[in-house]
Amino acid sequence: MMSEKILYSFTAIFDSPDEVSHATEKVVEQGYTKFDVHSPYPLHGMDDAMKLPPSKLGYVALVFGLSGMVAALLTMWWISAVDYPIVIGGKPLFSFPAYIPIVFEITVLSASIATVLAMLFVFFKLPNNSHPLHGTEYMKKVSSDKYGISIQAEDPKFDEASVRKLFESLQAREIYSIYWDNEELTHKHKILEPKFLTFLFVVAIISSGTAYFTLNKLMYMIPFNWMMDQPKQSAQQKSLVFSDGFGMRQPVAGTVARGYMPYEFKGKPDVAGEKLINPIPISIESLKLGQVKFDIYCSPCHGYHAEGNSRLRGQFPNPPSLHSEKVRNWSDGRIFAVLTEGQNIMPSYATQLSVDERWAVINYLRVLQRALDAKETDLQ
Amino acid sequence: MSTVDYTRELSVLDTKPALRELDDLISKPLETKPNKKFYIALSITLSMLSLLVIGLGLTFYYGIGMWGNNNPVGWAFDIVNFVFWVGIGHAGTLISAILFLFRQKWRTGIARFAEGMTIFAVMTAGLFPLIHVGRPWLAGYLFPYPNQHSVWVNFTSPLLWDVFAVSTYLTVSLIFWYVGLIPDLATLREKTTNKIKKVIYSTFSLGWRFSNRHWQNYEMVYLILAGFATPLVLSVHTIVSFDFAVSIIPGWHTTIFPPYFVAGAVFSGFAMVQNVLIIVRKIFNYEHIITLDTLEKMNKIMLLTGSMVGYAYAMEFFIAWYSGMEMERFTFLNRALGPYAWAYWIMITCNVVSPQLFWFKKIRRTIPVMFVIAIFVNIGMWFERFVIIVTSLSRDFLPSSWAYYKPTYVDAMILIGSFGFFFTWILLFAKALPVVSMAEVKAVVEGAQPSHKEH
Amino acid sequence: MSSSTVEYQKKELPAKVKTVGMTLLLVGLIIVVLGYIVNPTRTAYNNIIGFTFLASIGVGSLFFVAIEYLAGAVWSAPFRRVGEFLSSLIIILPLLFIPLLLNMNNVFHWTHPAPADKILVEKAPYLNVNFFIIRVVVFWLLWLAFYYFITKNSRKQDQTKDQLLTKKNIKISALFMPVFALTISFTAIDWLMSLAPHWFSTIFGVYYFSGTVLAALAAATIFIIPLSEKGYLVKGIHTDSYYSLGALLFAFTNFWAYIAFSQFLLIWYANLPEETIWFLARWEGNWKFVTIGLLVFRFLIPYVGLLSQPSKMNPKRLIIMASVILFAHYFDLYWLTAPNFSKGEVTFGWIELGFPIMIAGLIILVFIYKTKKENLVPIGDPKLKRGIDFRL
Repeated sequence: MMSEKILYSFTAIFDSPDEVSHATEKVVEQGYTKFDVHSPYPLHGMDDAMKLPPSKLGYVALVFGLSGMVAALLTMWWISAVDYPIVIGGKPLFSFPAYIPIVFEITVLSASIATVLAMLFVFFKLPNNSHPLHGTEYMKKVSSDKYGISIQAEDPKFDEASVRKLFESLQAREIYSIYWDNEELTHKHKILEPKFLTFLFVVAIISSGTAYFTLNKLMYMIPFNWMMDQPKQSAQQKSLVFSDGFGMRQPVAGTVARGYMPYEFKGKPDVAGEKLINPIPISIESLKLGQVKFDIYCSPCHGYHAEGNSRLRGQFPNPPSLHSEKVRNWSDGRIFAVLTEGQNIMPSYATQLSVDERWAVINYLRVLQRALDAKETDLQ
Repeated sequence: MSTVDYTRELSVLDTKPALRELDDLISKPLETKPNKKFYIALSITLSMLSLLVIGLGLTFYYGIGMWGNNNPVGWAFDIVNFVFWVGIGHAGTLISAILFLFRQKWRTGIARFAEGMTIFAVMTAGLFPLIHVGRPWLAGYLFPYPNQHSVWVNFTSPLLWDVFAVSTYLTVSLIFWYVGLIPDLATLREKTTNKIKKVIYSTFSLGWRFSNRHWQNYEMVYLILAGFATPLVLSVHTIVSFDFAVSIIPGWHTTIFPPYFVAGAVFSGFAMVQNVLIIVRKIFNYEHIITLDTLEKMNKIMLLTGSMVGYAYAMEFFIAWYSGMEMERFTFLNRALGPYAWAYWIMITCNVVSPQLFWFKKIRRTIPVMFVIAIFVNIGMWFERFVIIVTSLSRDFLPSSWAYYKPTYVDAMILIGSFGFFFTWILLFAKALPVVSMAEVKAVVEGAQPSHKEH
Repeated sequence: MSSSTVEYQKKELPAKVKTVGMTLLLVGLIIVVLGYIVNPTRTAYNNIIGFTFLASIGVGSLFFVAIEYLAGAVWSAPFRRVGEFLSSLIIILPLLFIPLLLNMNNVFHWTHPAPADKILVEKAPYLNVNFFIIRVVVFWLLWLAFYYFITKNSRKQDQTKDQLLTKKNIKISALFMPVFALTISFTAIDWLMSLAPHWFSTIFGVYYFSGTVLAALAAATIFIIPLSEKGYLVKGIHTDSYYSLGALLFAFTNFWAYIAFSQFLLIWYANLPEETIWFLARWEGNWKFVTIGLLVFRFLIPYVGLLSQPSKMNPKRLIIMASVILFAHYFDLYWLTAPNFSKGEVTFGWIELGFPIMIAGLIILVFIYKTKKENLVPIGDPKLKRGIDFRL
């Protein structure tokens, strides 16, 4: 059995840091390249003695730090200036000074994580608990208070006798030969082992169960939801306080709604035409408002220019042009009556247009009428 | 007083121990069953912790109306405690990163423990913003993620910067701590005879082999991490100070806040580390590793940062007068003479006056005295945050809305409980992991490095 | 440790340097005198820049000498004399502040406040001519006293090699720290902040401190590296010793950026008119480009130039970066001062060149004077041997 073992390396143990650094220099001089020095803590000057190239981890930190920085900045720009633009505190949408703290944090975070992960898993190829050095007397010693050199069998210059001689000449305390673990080497990893399949099955059940529970139940549980039930009377609810059992109460007799203005000419449009006087003087604001309201409520039938030339023409009894002699001669009050009460098929717009808005629409209509019936004097 | 020989480098350790003895000494608490003292200590911290649980239970059940916060004073104990604990967390990274960059070897004995304290202190601090929002189960919204409401967080808010700063700080501190632990876990792996422990140590040491090809990169990464952690540690308390300073409340809006908060954080952090280390070195017999010299150096740093804090108080006061602004002037007079004058003078006595005793070498080297001063410092630093937050809010621009803030019993329970939370972690840590870095301490034992040669 | 003796041979600096120094001083002096005749106000503003610049180097160098004692640093022991020589600039500070004290009315608006200006009237107990002069003189005397005691002990050690002198200096240095912190802050408030007397910022003292440290470090680096490379200091100094210079320059560049950003962000964010006006004055018209230039010279170039580990030890790189940083400090002081003089438009002409040229000449001449009288290396310092053997 012994002869089947495959040699990994020859190792020597030294007592003091001076001895091992001297020995390392000798090993390098002899031209060995696949060797390693082991010590319980980093030894100063060992990278020079071993002729190691400078560590490249600084570049990892630089690259990932910069990418984190750019990514953070772009994300914040996209979120605050593009996807969800809201002015906060009078600051510009992309307020760079205020992003510096987060950009800094993300830079540090991404660089630190990347550097450590790169070191452990890419540079060192850890975790590796099956390395031949593990579980040896050599490892026990160098983990605590001794210093060791290990020259690997795969080194092109490796030769058992000469390495042993070298170690002896360097006055190594102990020399061990380290072998690969045969069981480890010959072990076949079968994927379809029943144990492994059971394990997979259990993992699948647990993870899908947890996902189901979280997404369908847990997310909908509201902790302490009584803050949502407040002791108050909602509309349409039965009341226990009032004897009639209604939650909603009648207003006190004689109450007038806010902004309510009585209209005394109901059914008497001509009287309205005589008595009502437009209280809103023509102004830019009034005309602008009138235009907006006209375009919304009047133009669907009468058209944008009140010519009756609308997109609904032909589908209804054709709406009349408002440029007719009749309408042009109507007083503002008469038109107001039409807007308030409706006429023929036209319904009342009293709910859509407030009193002021109705007057504004009328002002705007006068402008339209004048525009199609301009006088010579207007051109001057 | 012996005269110092400046021609020789002072040894970090008191004696020159054999390396194996160091292993044994440091891993002893992990290999022995906890004794009675440990259980007594644990039961104390656990009962304090239970106060936290009850306090939080009441808060969640009835809402934050259980606290003393009132209308102008919307931030009180919750934020005071947050700032206090984040501050405590600053010493660890300072010791492990900044002192590492300055090549201060005396840090090796205390670095691991201080880093552990950093993590636990930041964890404790992290509790407070969560409970402060009132509905901690909605805390996920603090992070920007594409959610079903199509709503994003406000990146210009210092409170959001806090979320990033504190979580980055916690992550990087954990990484730093873990990277430092790997070689020690590997040493423990080789040392232990217990099968279960061996599996645990093997898993977490990742199969570390003490190879010098690895050590080279490892030291590089340690340097890089230290280089990152140094500005990071400054940024964290700076951002905490932004929470106040970007506003326009007199007493909060002042430009010296960032460096002043950082100095204060280091100050209180060192005081806490010193307190805990004095106990630890006694219990675990680490007097030769955590030497009196180390403690003296910590006291010097406390003197330095304490004086910086004193400078900031004075400068704030002076500029408040110099500014000629009525509001600024009133706020500072109100602090010193108003209804919270008692808190202000506790702060001044504990933070500015008491550390001045460290000018005397005798006091710097007398353990009971420095222990008491450090406790004072921690009290003072807690009150500093109280003074900043509560006095400024309780009397702001409109006298008609002034009010006096009084904490309730729930506030007190949460404050005491936060100490229970912190110290429970500390105790568990001291029993579960090596509280002194074996690899780093070995590296500074006399004769541990190859003697210097001229080439 | 076996051989505590250090080989040191005193060498004179080449005569060429002295000629350069003399020429610079004369040219600068002529421009300054002409400037005071042609445009006293503008020259007085430049005088402020010159004074605060020279004070930065002088007092900042003394700060570094003191810090070395306090921190027990060994790497800097062979270089300490350079710091001591530069701190002797403290002695000639009156050359720069006396002409200013005669021209105070031209630059300091608060010397004659309008009675309606309530804020300035209220500030009068602090901002008045007499108290200002008292402060300037007292600060100067304090610096002078600490300079005298620290360097006296250091010189004495060259002969006696007495370790107790190191101990004494540690104590003096500890006392110097609070004095330094307060004097440098109030110097900043008096000379620079009070130029805009309505404006206030609590961090301003720290801001000037960060620039002071950088200027002193950069000036020291510019002298140390050529001297050491050309063998005027002791033999056997390794580039590892330069690393700390590079690292400190890098660290304080970051510190300056941190302080400057903190001050800007807090004022920008709160957006209070009485505070933002100061930054607005530095963002209007051409000043925008000066502000951007400040960021580039004071932060970006040194940051990128000193980021990697090898660049912190490279003598050439260090000299370039130190020169950039020293220039940036002057630039920074210009940025702090000049917008008070010319609002909206940058003014730059021959008057602006007078003080920098004169100061460069002054520094060189003072340095040569000191090297003639004293050793360039503190040969009696107990830490010297360790400093020479210093490795990272």
